[in-house]
Amino acid sequence: MPRYLVERSFPEGLKIPVNAEGAEICQMVVLNNVEDNVTWIHSYVSDDRRKTYCAYDAPSPEAIRRSARRNNLPVDRITEVRVLDPYFYR
Amino acid sequence: MELLEREQCFDELEAILSEVAAGNGRFVLVSGEAGIGKTSVVERFAEAHHHNARVLWGACDALFTPRPLGPLFDIAHQTQSNLTTLLEEEAPRASIFAAVLDELENGRAPTIAIMEDVHWADEATLDLLKFLGRRINRTNAMLVVTYRDDEVGADHGLRLVLGDLPRRSVARFRLLPLSQAAVNGLAEREGRPIGDLYAVTGGNPFFVTEALASREPGVPVTVSDAVLSRAARLSPVSRAVLELVSVVPARTEMWLLDDAISPDTGALEECVSAGMLRYEGEAITFRHELARRSVEDSIDAPRRQSLHNLVLKALLNRGSEALLARIVHHAAQASDSAAVLKYAPVAARQASALSAHRESATHYQTALQYADRLAPEERAGLFEHRSYECYLTNQGEGALQARRESLEIWRQLGNRLREGDNLRWMSRVNWFLGRRMEAERYSTEAVTILESLPPSPELAMAYSSRAQLLMLADENQQAVLWGSRAIELAGHLGATETLVHALNNVGTAEYRAGNERGRIKLEESLQLALANDLQDDVGRAYTNLAYMTVRQRKYQLAIRYLEAGIAYTTEHDLDFYKLYMTAWRARSHFEQGDWESAADDAGFVLEHRQVLAIAKIPALTVLGHVRVRRGDADAARLLAEARDLALETGELQRIAPVASARVEFAWLKGDLERVLGEARSVLEMAKAHDDGWLQAEFAFWMWRGGAAIETPETNAGPYALQMSGDWPAAAEAWKEIGWPYEEAMALAEGDESAQLAALEIFERLGAGPATERLRQTLRATGVRGIPRGPRPSTKENPAGLTSRQMEVLVLMTDGLANAEIAARLFISPKTVDHHVSAILAKLDAHTRAEAVSVALQSGLINQNRERPAPK
Repeated sequence: MPRYLVERSFPEGLKIPVNAEGAEICQMVVLNNVEDNVTWIHSYVSDDRRKTYCAYDAPSPEAIRRSARRNNLPVDRITEVRVLDPYFYR
Repeated sequence: MELLEREQCFDELEAILSEVAAGNGRFVLVSGEAGIGKTSVVERFAEAHHHNARVLWGACDALFTPRPLGPLFDIAHQTQSNLTTLLEEEAPRASIFAAVLDELENGRAPTIAIMEDVHWADEATLDLLKFLGRRINRTNAMLVVTYRDDEVGADHGLRLVLGDLPRRSVARFRLLPLSQAAVNGLAEREGRPIGDLYAVTGGNPFFVTEALASREPGVPVTVSDAVLSRAARLSPVSRAVLELVSVVPARTEMWLLDDAISPDTGALEECVSAGMLRYEGEAITFRHELARRSVEDSIDAPRRQSLHNLVLKALLNRGSEALLARIVHHAAQASDSAAVLKYAPVAARQASALSAHRESATHYQTALQYADRLAPEERAGLFEHRSYECYLTNQGEGALQARRESLEIWRQLGNRLREGDNLRWMSRVNWFLGRRMEAERYSTEAVTILESLPPSPELAMAYSSRAQLLMLADENQQAVLWGSRAIELAGHLGATETLVHALNNVGTAEYRAGNERGRIKLEESLQLALANDLQDDVGRAYTNLAYMTVRQRKYQLAIRYLEAGIAYTTEHDLDFYKLYMTAWRARSHFEQGDWESAADDAGFVLEHRQVLAIAKIPALTVLGHVRVRRGDADAARLLAEARDLALETGELQRIAPVASARVEFAWLKGDLERVLGEARSVLEMAKAHDDGWLQAEFAFWMWRGGAAIETPETNAGPYALQMSGDWPAAAEAWKEIGWPYEEAMALAEGDESAQLAALEIFERLGAGPATERLRQTLRATGVRGIPRGPRPSTKENPAGLTSRQMEVLVLMTDGLANAEIAARLFISPKTVDHHVSAILAKLDAHTRAEAVSVALQSGLINQNRERPAPK
């Protein structure tokens, strides 16, 4: 399955508290993804929390958009990516 | 015998049966390798329900060319219905299928209908499975099919059928080998604890049983070894019975056995008590197909041929239509050329009448292997038939090859009429294979030859085909010219099918040239086809009406034809037209800015494995274009594939939309050289075809790419307005047409407030790259306070529903079902599903009713709101 980097903007900042509520939000996202066979691997969040870069495995960009809609998450850009490991050539 | 390790499977089958009894029919797939115990499971389950369900049983056989609707013949005999009569009288397939459905719908007790070994099914049976699979939910029947999943490759017909079944009504069971513990347990119970039994047999229940019964000291290496060592202990007379039965892929009826070798009863009993054969009603059969194959393979070729001969003679003595496929099978195996030539063509016609076209084509092929001794006319006839059956089953190369042969024979015989008609077919087959040049050459040749003869139906059809080719290539005037000749001649000769065909071609060509009379002709063709039940022509008429109205941007009219056409072709399983229209519905959604529904529809088309290039091109184009505008990954690959396929057809109507997406992609990336390169060639083509809209569109892209280009004078449309700098008029024109993205593009050329309006539209559409581009422009010109998403509409209501979700919620509150909501909002039911689940999630509701009550109580929806007046 292809891997994608999904860029999202949160003009008012991303707010996921580090507690049970936050855990529940993340769990909800994961559950909503299942329907379209989308897997959220992990995300990087910018310091000001206005931008996230999320790695996903998904069958297509449309699948990512459908689950984003279910999760009410914005999508700026979806790029297909491959892994490059700095120690790959050793 | 008890069945080990199948408890869970039985439990689930029980649960399904109680749902079925409540009127929710289900399709049950039981798969696994040969010998895994599929039949045992199904038999046991059916046995347990003889008292509270009706059990119907049918099986496919391992014939070289399977019997058309073989399992249905078996099942028909077990019902009180008129199915047997319908089958024997070769009633139209549609009425046979309808009768089957009727039978399954109207049982008082639930029905368990079993079809075994469908990996060997003929094409008509596969069609029946598809037909039933799509409708089983409205019956109180459980349709159980078994198949060997390891013998069903990626392009096997069964896989295509199973892949397209509605997920909700299907249950799948894949039977796994026995565990080591179970195998050891069995061995111990037999008093034969063999150490490597599990390792050698891999836990295959049939192999385990045979190995334990073989009484050899060790474990036989293969299933065959096990079976043969068991068979070796039989007396010579019993072995003779065993061998005869082994060359019969179906069950061996008693009359057949008696006629062929009249064995004494002792021999038969010995085979049965040795556990090799078993009785099945009035027939005898191997305990398992694997055993039959093992014995058959152990017989040397000359003896096998003489056994087939015995079976053939017995079948011929019996003389029944239902045995045709079996007669051909044994005649070919016995190398009896006279019998093959006599019966294969009859079997082929019978198969074709039941729409088992693949089997029909194979029967003709079998006959042609022995056709040297036939008169040339007869041989040519066989080739023509084979070509037609291949053509119907997407075997383009086979169709071409056979047609070449028949053409050559007619030529040598000097039969100009047949030669002309075969040339017309060569044209059609070549077009089908995407070879336009050849298609045109053959078409011209056909007309020339047939015109030199007295007027004939063949000539009328050649005219109409010529018109079709021209119409497909946007040569509209020429198409009307040739098609009108066809209409006149066909009307004169009373050739209704040709008339329907020609009206369609001329209508499409005229309508495309902007003449409303064309639509009237298309409607006429549609009504005539409906009245004469010419289903394929109905599909084609709907398709042309639908895509033409989309192309002319008459969306209100288009959605009417699309919905009616997709419904008709779904009901009649005309998959090509259904997929093609779905691709055009995607286009229609896309142009009007509903990219979600567009991507859903296009994705639906592309999910099908067996989709012809003609339907694949628009689907790839729309999905690629959606990705370009959203800035999503992999747009380039889709569009490259679409372009290659489109170029192969050579047709402007397919090439232009792909080019448009690719040009836009290049422009968004700032690659102006590429914009010019891509746009130039299509502009030339559009000029040659005198297509004003496309000329304006690609002139516009040349202009955007920086070329000094004149505004096309004849066209005052939005592209021309934009090129002349009149952006407000252009935006207004786009709005009128209903293309929001283009409207925003025009506004983006305007003043600051227009640009801000454009930004809002882009954000609403989710047009990432265009948004980004416009933001940069706004920043560069020093505009302040540029709004940054999220989309304003999402923030409007506290639950965070999008405007589309609000629309859906309102209709849910009105009590509409998903299908109705889909029809109302002109989006696909699948998209409605997505919206509904998103709404439930956001409102934290578990059911629709709960969501509605939350929406009303929280004031999200005003209960006393104004409702639109009914239309």
